[in-house]
Amino acid sequence: MALLEATNITKIFGGLVAVNDVTFTVEPGSIVSVIGPNGAGKTTFFNVLTGIYKPDKGRVVFAGKDITGWRSDQIAALGMRRTFQNIRLFGNMTVLENVLIGMHVHLHASIWSIIFRGRTMLREEAKARNKALELLSFVGIADKRDELAKNLPYGDQRRLEIARAMAGDPKIILLDEPTAGMNPHETAEATQLIRRLRDERGITVILIEHDMRLVMSISERISVLDYGSKIAEGDVQAIRTNPRVIEAYLGKGAAGHAA
Amino acid sequence: MAVDATVAPTTARRSLGEVLGVVFGPVGQLLAFIVGSAASLSLIVVVLALILSSAQPDIMQRVVIILPQVIIDGLVRGFLFATIALGYTMVYGVLEFINFAHGEIFMIGGVVGATVSFLLVSAGALESIPPLVFILLVVLVAMAFCGMLAVTVERVAYRPLRGAPRLVPLISAIGMSLILQDLARLVMTNTPLGFNARYQTPNFGQPIQLFTMQIGERSVPVILSPRDLIFIVAATIMLVVLNYVVNATKLGKAIRATAQDMPTASLMGIDVNRIIALTFLIGGALGGAAGALFGLRIGTVNPYMGLIPGLKAFTAAVLGGIGNITGAMVGGVVLGFLEAFVAAYLSIFTAGNFSGAAYADVAAFSILILLLIFRPSGLLGEATTQKV
Amino acid sequence: MTTSTSSQSLWQRVTAPLSSGPIAYGFLALYVLACSILLVTNPRTELSTDVVFVLFLLSMLVAYRSRVAAWFKVVLGVFALGVVLPYFGTLNPFYIDVATQAGIFTALALGLNVVVGFAGLLDLGYVAFFAVGAYAWGIFSTPQITEINPAWSPVDPVMFYPFLIIGLILGLITGVLLGLPVLRLRGDYLAIVTLGFGEVIRVVANNLDRPINITNGSQGIRAIERPPLIIVDQIRNLGIVADDNRLYQLFFYYLVLIIVLLTVIVVARLKHSRIGRAWEAIREDEVAAVAQGIPRVRMKLLAFAIGASFAGVMGVVFASKQLFINPPTFDLLRSINILAMVILGGMGSIPGAMLGAIIVTMLDLQILPRIAAVLREAQAAGAPIPRQFDPTQYQRLLFGLLLVVMMIFRPEGLWPDERRREEQHEVEITDEELEADKTAKQAGADSGS
Ligand SMILES: Nc1ncnc2c1ncn2[C@@H]1O[C@H](COP(=O)(O)OP(=O)(O)OP(=O)(O)O)[C@@H](O)[C@H]1O
Ligand SMILES: [Mg+2]
Repeated sequence: MALLEATNITKIFGGLVAVNDVTFTVEPGSIVSVIGPNGAGKTTFFNVLTGIYKPDKGRVVFAGKDITGWRSDQIAALGMRRTFQNIRLFGNMTVLENVLIGMHVHLHASIWSIIFRGRTMLREEAKARNKALELLSFVGIADKRDELAKNLPYGDQRRLEIARAMAGDPKIILLDEPTAGMNPHETAEATQLIRRLRDERGITVILIEHDMRLVMSISERISVLDYGSKIAEGDVQAIRTNPRVIEAYLGKGAAGHAA
Repeated sequence: MAVDATVAPTTARRSLGEVLGVVFGPVGQLLAFIVGSAASLSLIVVVLALILSSAQPDIMQRVVIILPQVIIDGLVRGFLFATIALGYTMVYGVLEFINFAHGEIFMIGGVVGATVSFLLVSAGALESIPPLVFILLVVLVAMAFCGMLAVTVERVAYRPLRGAPRLVPLISAIGMSLILQDLARLVMTNTPLGFNARYQTPNFGQPIQLFTMQIGERSVPVILSPRDLIFIVAATIMLVVLNYVVNATKLGKAIRATAQDMPTASLMGIDVNRIIALTFLIGGALGGAAGALFGLRIGTVNPYMGLIPGLKAFTAAVLGGIGNITGAMVGGVVLGFLEAFVAAYLSIFTAGNFSGAAYADVAAFSILILLLIFRPSGLLGEATTQKV
Repeated sequence: MTTSTSSQSLWQRVTAPLSSGPIAYGFLALYVLACSILLVTNPRTELSTDVVFVLFLLSMLVAYRSRVAAWFKVVLGVFALGVVLPYFGTLNPFYIDVATQAGIFTALALGLNVVVGFAGLLDLGYVAFFAVGAYAWGIFSTPQITEINPAWSPVDPVMFYPFLIIGLILGLITGVLLGLPVLRLRGDYLAIVTLGFGEVIRVVANNLDRPINITNGSQGIRAIERPPLIIVDQIRNLGIVADDNRLYQLFFYYLVLIIVLLTVIVVARLKHSRIGRAWEAIREDEVAAVAQGIPRVRMKLLAFAIGASFAGVMGVVFASKQLFINPPTFDLLRSINILAMVILGGMGSIPGAMLGAIIVTMLDLQILPRIAAVLREAQAAGAPIPRQFDPTQYQRLLFGLLLVVMMIFRPEGLWPDERRREEQHEVEITDEELEADKTAKQAGADSGS
C-alpha cells in the first residue's frame, strides 16, 4: 500500500493556479523527487501536503488516513515532517533545543509534573536530550549543540533542519531544495545524508531539487511539475529522455538536441 | 497587501470621465453603504418595536420619534470614524503596522482647534469672524500641525524600527500614544486652556429644521444642527479629495505601488521613505481635521479624548478591510450607524436596564472581536494567504 | 547596539569574578549585610534610604543570578526578605508597603511575561484578569453579595484562603474564554482585541449596578474583608503590642512574598520544559513551529490561561489588601504599567520581569513623589517651574517614553533573557539539567540491574 497518496490536488491563489490537478503516490521506503522550473508549484505542493495550505480540490491520504484539511501540526504529529526552502530554524535557540522542539509530539510530561519536577518528566527530558544528541551526531553537528542556530554556517543549518525533522520519528520527510546554495563538496555530503536517512533509518524521502545530478543519482521515481501541472512521471531513465521535460527545462525546440 | 483593488491603467493621461469614475466610484459605494446601513438598522428597530409593542404599547412611538435624529447622529459618528480610520488604513497598507498613536493625532487636532479659537477669543475677534472663515482656519491649522506631527512621530519612533519584529514598532507606537496624551495635558493644564478646554465658535445660526414628522397627534420637527452639518459637509469634501489624490494622481499611484510591494516600488525609483512620510502626512492631516471638527461639534476637548475614537476607528478600518481606503470609509460609516443605534435604542429595548451610552463602546468592541474572528479581511477586503 | 556589546563585555569582566567562585559568596554576603545595616540604622523616608532599599532588593536578583550553591541563595533570601525587610518594615511601615506593592506587581509582571515574553502574545488587557479576581473576592466577602440575591450572605473572611484558588480558577476560565476565539489572530490584532477586552471589562464593571447590582458600578466596593490573622492571639500573648494594621501589613508582605516565590518557581520550570520551548518556538517562527507538530492555538491558550490565572490570584490578594476597589483601578494604564515592567526588564527574562517590577513600582511610589517634592520646593523658592507640573501625575509620559526608548535602544531589556545575552559563550548546564541527567542514569541503572 502506498504511504502517501495525493489525488487531483489543485491550489489556486487569486487567479493563479499554482498546483493543477496533480496526482502523486509514494511507496514506503522510497526516495522520490519532484522537479520543475522555478515557480512550477513544487513548494506549494509541499505546503498542501503538509497542511500549511488547504487544497482547493483533491485529497491527501497519508499512512492510511485521509488527512485532507488537517491542521499542519496534526499532520506533523502523524509522521510527516519537512524542511523549508528558505531554512526556518529557531535562530535564537540552541542547536540542541531546535532538535528538542522537533520532538515535541513525543514528549508528554504533564504541566503538573513539570511544575513539581516529577520523575517521569526528568527522565523524559534526559532521554530526549540523549536522543537529540544522537540525531545531531547522525547529521554530523553534535559538537555544535550549544551554539545558537542562527550562528551556524549555512550547510550546518540545512543539516540541523534535517535533524529537527528526524526528531519526530517521521515516516516520511519532505526536503525542499536541501542543497540549494551548497558547493559541490557539501552537495555530495548532503546526498550521502539523504541516502542514509532512508537506508539506515528507513525514512521515506520526497525531494525537491534543482541539482539534476543529485536528483538523477538518488531518486527511484521522479515527478515533473510545470506551471502547476504534472507533465511527466517515471524512473530516472524515463524522465531523462522525456521530450516534454526537456522542453519544459530548455524551451521549445530543444528536445531534439538534448539527452 | 493590496491597498486598493482598482489598479490604475498605465496610460499617462486619463480622460475626465475616468478620473470622475475612480474618484466618485468609491463615493458611490460609500453612499450605498450609508443608505443600506441606515435602512436596515431602522428596519430592525422598527421590527423589534413591533414585537415588543404588545407589552409596551407606546414603544413604537418612542422608537420612531427619535429615528431621524439617530440617523443623523449615526452619519456624524460614521464620518468621524471614517476620517480617522483613513489614517490607520493608509499606514497599515504601506507598513503593515498599526499606528497606535493615531487616535492621539486626532485628539491633538481638537486641541489645536480649541487653541485657535481661544486665541481668537482673546483677541476679541471670534464674533466678528465669518463662520466659514473660522471653520477653514481651525481645520487648516489643525491639518498642518497634525500632519507635521504625524511625520515627526514616524521619523522619531517608527522609522528606526523598520524591519524589526512586528511587536517592536507596535509597542513603540503604544508608548508614543501615551507620550502625546500627557504632552497635550502638560501644555493644556499649564496654559489658560485647561484640562477640559472650551472650544468656542462664532454663532453658526439656528438649527435647520429639515421637515416635521406627523406621529399620531404630535408633529415632531427633525432638526439638523449647523455643527452636524458642518461636520458632514467637511468630512465629505475631505473624503472626495482623498479619493482624488489616491486614485487619480501620480502621488497616489506611488503610494499604492509602495503598499503593494515595497521592494519593487523602491526598485522602480520610488523614494519609499518619502512615500511613507507622505502617507503619515496625509493620514495625520485627516486625523487632525477630524479632531478640529469634532471638538467644534461637542464644544470641549481634553487630552484623553483620542483613545476610544481611535480604537473605534481602527475597528472601522478592520471592518472595511484594513489597507483598503474605500473600505475604511465604508467601515467607519457602518460602525457609526451601529453605534448610534445601540446608544439610542438599547435603553429603550431593555426598559432602561442597560444604558445605551455606556454599552455603545462594548458593542463596538464586540463587533471588532467578532469580526476579527469570523472575517478578518473585512467587508471589502480579500482573503490573502501568507506566503511560506 | 555596538556600544552596548562593548559595555557588556566590560560589565562582564567586572562582574564575572563576583558571580562565581568563592569570591561570590563573600561578595554577596557583604552586599546583603551592608545594605541591611544601612537600612536598619537609618529607617527614615528619604532619598538615601530609597537608594539603599533598591540596592537591597537588587541584591536578591544578583544572588539569583550568581553561580553559588542553592543553599546559600536560600539563606541569603530568607535572611534579607524574611527577616531584615520585615524588621525594617516595623521601623518604617512605608517601605514594607512599597515592598508588598512591588511583590504584587512582580507576580503580575511574571504572569504577563509568560504571555508576552514566552509566547510572544502582546496582551494589552491583562489587568482584566486581575479585576476578575479582585471583584470576585470584593463581591463575595462584602454585603455586596446581598445586592445580587438578598438570600445570600458574605462568606466568612477565612474563605480568603480558598478564594486564592478560586481567583486562580476564575482567571484561568476568563483567560480561556477570551483566548479561545482570539488567539488565532495575528499578533498586532491580538493586541488591539485584548485592549478592547480590557476596556469592555472596565465598562461592564462600571455599569453593572443595573439591572442587578453586581459590581456597585462606579462607586466601587468598600470595606473588603481581610482574612483573620491566625496567630494574632499568640503574638498578643507574647506581650507584643501591635495594632491590626501593622500586623496586616506584615501578613500581606509575607503572603505576597510566598506567592512571588511560588510564581518564580512555576514560571522558571515551565520555561525550561517542553512547554516553554514550544512557546519560544511559536514566538520565533509560527509556521516552522507548527510544522514540528506544535499545536499553535493550544499552546498559546495555555500561556494565556497561565498568565491570567496568576493575575486572578493577585486580584484576590490586592482587593483584600486595598480594602477598596473600583473600576478605574483596572484601567488601561494599569495594563500598560505591567507591560512596561516586562519590557523594561526584558521580554522572556524572569529576573528581568522582577527587576522591571521593582523599578517601575519604585518610580511610581517613591521616585516620582520625591521629584515632585523637590520641584515644589524649587517652585516655592521661585524657580520657573510650571505650576501644574506634578511628576506623579505624568505616568503616561513616563511609561510612554520608557516603551519608545526601550524599543529603539534596547529592545531586549535591561536584564535580557540569559541565553540570548551570552550568545557567544558556552551555555552553562543548569542544575535542572544535571539533575535530569543523573536521574536518567539512575533510572537506566535501576532497570539494568
Ligand atoms: N501564498 C501565495 N500567494 C500567492 N501566490 C503564491 C503563494 N505561494 C506561491 N505563490 C505562487 O505560486 C507559484 C508557485 O510557487 P512555488 O513556490 O510553489 O514554486 P516552486 O516550484 O517552489 O518554485 P522554486 O523552484 O522557485 O522554489 C508562483 O508563481 C508563486 O508566486
Ligand atoms: Mg520552491
